Amino acid sequence: MSKPIKWDKSDLLRLSKDDTLLWCTPSCKQIVSSLLPFNEGAHFQPLNEQIRNLVVIGGGTLLDQAKVWRLEQSTKINLIVIPSIWGSGAEVSPICVLNDGDTKKIIMGSEYLPDYYLILNELAGSIPQQRATLACGDAWSHALEGFLSPLSTPELQAELAQVIKDMLETGLGNNSHWFELSGRACLLQSKASVGLVHGIAHTLEPVLTNKFGSSWGHACLCSNFLLPVMAFNQQSSSKYDDYMEKYNLDKDAIKSVLMDLFNRASFEEAMPDLIECWQTIIRDPCSRTNSVLVRPKSISFFENGSFI
Amino acid sequence: MTNKEKLEDLMIDILLIEPEEYSLDLKREDVNSWDSLAVVSIAVGCHETFGYHFDPKEATSINSVQDIINILETKGIDFNE
Repeated sequence: MSKPIKWDKSDLLRLSKDDTLLWCTPSCKQIVSSLLPFNEGAHFQPLNEQIRNLVVIGGGTLLDQAKVWRLEQSTKINLIVIPSIWGSGAEVSPICVLNDGDTKKIIMGSEYLPDYYLILNELAGSIPQQRATLACGDAWSHALEGFLSPLSTPELQAELAQVIKDMLETGLGNNSHWFELSGRACLLQSKASVGLVHGIAHTLEPVLTNKFGSSWGHACLCSNFLLPVMAFNQQSSSKYDDYMEKYNLDKDAIKSVLMDLFNRASFEEAMPDLIECWQTIIRDPCSRTNSVLVRPKSISFFENGSFI
Repeated sequence: MTNKEKLEDLMIDILLIEPEEYSLDLKREDVNSWDSLAVVSIAVGCHETFGYHFDPKEATSINSVQDIINILETKGIDFNE
């Protein structure tokens, strides 16, 4: 069976407390302590030699860091990951997005895949509503950009079209179904690529976070740039409309979701840095696999804001 | 705009080079930014500009501007106008 193997809670509870260590993000410690019996350890510290299993519960950043850190250890340990929020799909992805000073470093390889992953639906209870909605935007951006990617195959497109239909049915907000939807979207897009939304997010996240604080995280950027970028894709080529029709996707319903994710004030706050960083954005590997070609002059589409 | 001019415009934008660095003799080995992702962009850009979609074998065989012209000419796109 290929990695990562999906577990359920009973698989996890079969692990021995003696050789299992838990890393948990602070926001869900209380819920986790009532669900799991494992001892919690300090993150990224050397492990006692009896430890064979590392259970990591957190968002995409912690899961990606753990995927890399595990490979650097001298002894083989099983990595079991549990997302505390949906969106990144880090629990099933061979891609790791790491903070590297003021930039994002992306590494990819099957060796980074965790051994096991599972979903604890109870963790949805720890997610504030607004954060949950922005995380849906992250998952939506994986699904739509993967679906439209020039590297996507008809098989991937068909599977991503089904994910998009399921996302439409689920609706935005705090719903534990998003754990599963997000994992499917991420796994499929990792076999194609993402596009300009991610090129913008990777470039602007450090810039906007330095300027305005942590509210400008990856999910917030994806949520706010999904509507403008999809409008740009749609205006630049018939591909967007052709694919929507081919896979029987409801364009109006999708646009309505993207409008719900879009916040005009946030977009306008980010706009000066979008212009300032455009030359960097168009060089980002994700921008270069966008559905349509992103050119130096393409910034004018976003400047004039006609998609709003 | 002639097809030659359209291709020049496209390649300058994809490779992010100055107009004076472009020529019909330009080869992949001459430009650092002509990497595997540029190959994807060339395929996407040629589809948008000339309406022809390179198959994966054609796309990976492209190593020069002349290679692009040669393929497009076999599809009836004229570069001698």
